[in-house]
Amino acid sequence: MIQSIFLLFSAIGLMAALGTVLSRNLVRAALWLVAFFFIIAVQFVLLEAEFLAAIQVLVYIGAVAILLLFGIMLTRNIQGDETTSASLNTKLIFGALGLALFAVLATAIVSHKGTPERPAWSKIQGRPDDEAGRDGVLTRKDTINNMAKTVGDEMMTRFVIPFEIAGLLLTVALVGAVALARQVGADEPIDRVRKAGFTRDDAPANGSPEGVAEAPGAVASPSH
Amino acid sequence: MHTVELPVSGSDIPLAWFLFFAAASFSIGLFGVLVRRNAIAVLMSIEIMLNAANINLIAFWRYVAPPPGEGINNGVMLALFVITIAAAEVAVGIALVLLAYRRWKAADVDRYDTLAG
Repeated sequence: MIQSIFLLFSAIGLMAALGTVLSRNLVRAALWLVAFFFIIAVQFVLLEAEFLAAIQVLVYIGAVAILLLFGIMLTRNIQGDETTSASLNTKLIFGALGLALFAVLATAIVSHKGTPERPAWSKIQGRPDDEAGRDGVLTRKDTINNMAKTVGDEMMTRFVIPFEIAGLLLTVALVGAVALARQVGADEPIDRVRKAGFTRDDAPANGSPEGVAEAPGAVASPSH
Repeated sequence: MHTVELPVSGSDIPLAWFLFFAAASFSIGLFGVLVRRNAIAVLMSIEIMLNAANINLIAFWRYVAPPPGEGINNGVMLALFVITIAAAEVAVGIALVLLAYRRWKAADVDRYDTLAG
């Protein structure tokens, strides 16, 4: 029963991943990606990590997919690779490369030997019931049944340095993203923008593709 | 509250099945990175690869006992940090794509060839 559920959802997930990489329309690709993220959440539930499944839905479907959709709409290139599509030959070559990678990974999974303490991966047919963790204070049952609590405890004790670094990284990344994507003059009154010589479109009318964010003369004009 | 409900009917999912699913997803993501030209589509394929890696982390967390002296939910913590990094990566990536689109009026990665000779 549980095996058939896994196989069904895995098939849907692989189909969604293929739809993401193959569909011409970028909005459709993003929607396939949402389906794939949801299947990943299903896999987390099958692995008894419901907290991570909730995080997956919140972060990936709620934030990342929406951000990608905004990116697609802001670049106004819905048709995706239509104009500069990769040829069938390229696709075949890279498809063969992907299949070769999968063959290598599958061979590695099947032929994993294991050690006396740890069985080979292909021999593990079921999940262990319960073990004591570090110092015996935290068992697997605790982590499964109270995952949010145990993860929060670990974040505040053992992983506090990585936690702070991750917070710093997120702050830097978001501030940097805003600083990068901000249009110079876009949020200023239009007369001040005109006085400063900026156009709203961020590109001078004479066809030179210089952005106005650079200092004058700092960048040589790109050749086409 | 203090019981782990194991799937009752039939046998459990073998660990290798999750690994195969992750490997297949990763290969599809790599194929997408190589074959897509639109920068945002490349970002999507990278997300597929990151998610495949997360499946592996959680599968090993659930199926394999931790080494003695290590915490029991290390795999979950690592997966959480991967999710964090992926979110930051997408934010910066989208900002870069928008900037490049404004500059070159194209979102295709092979049009960003200013540095080519």
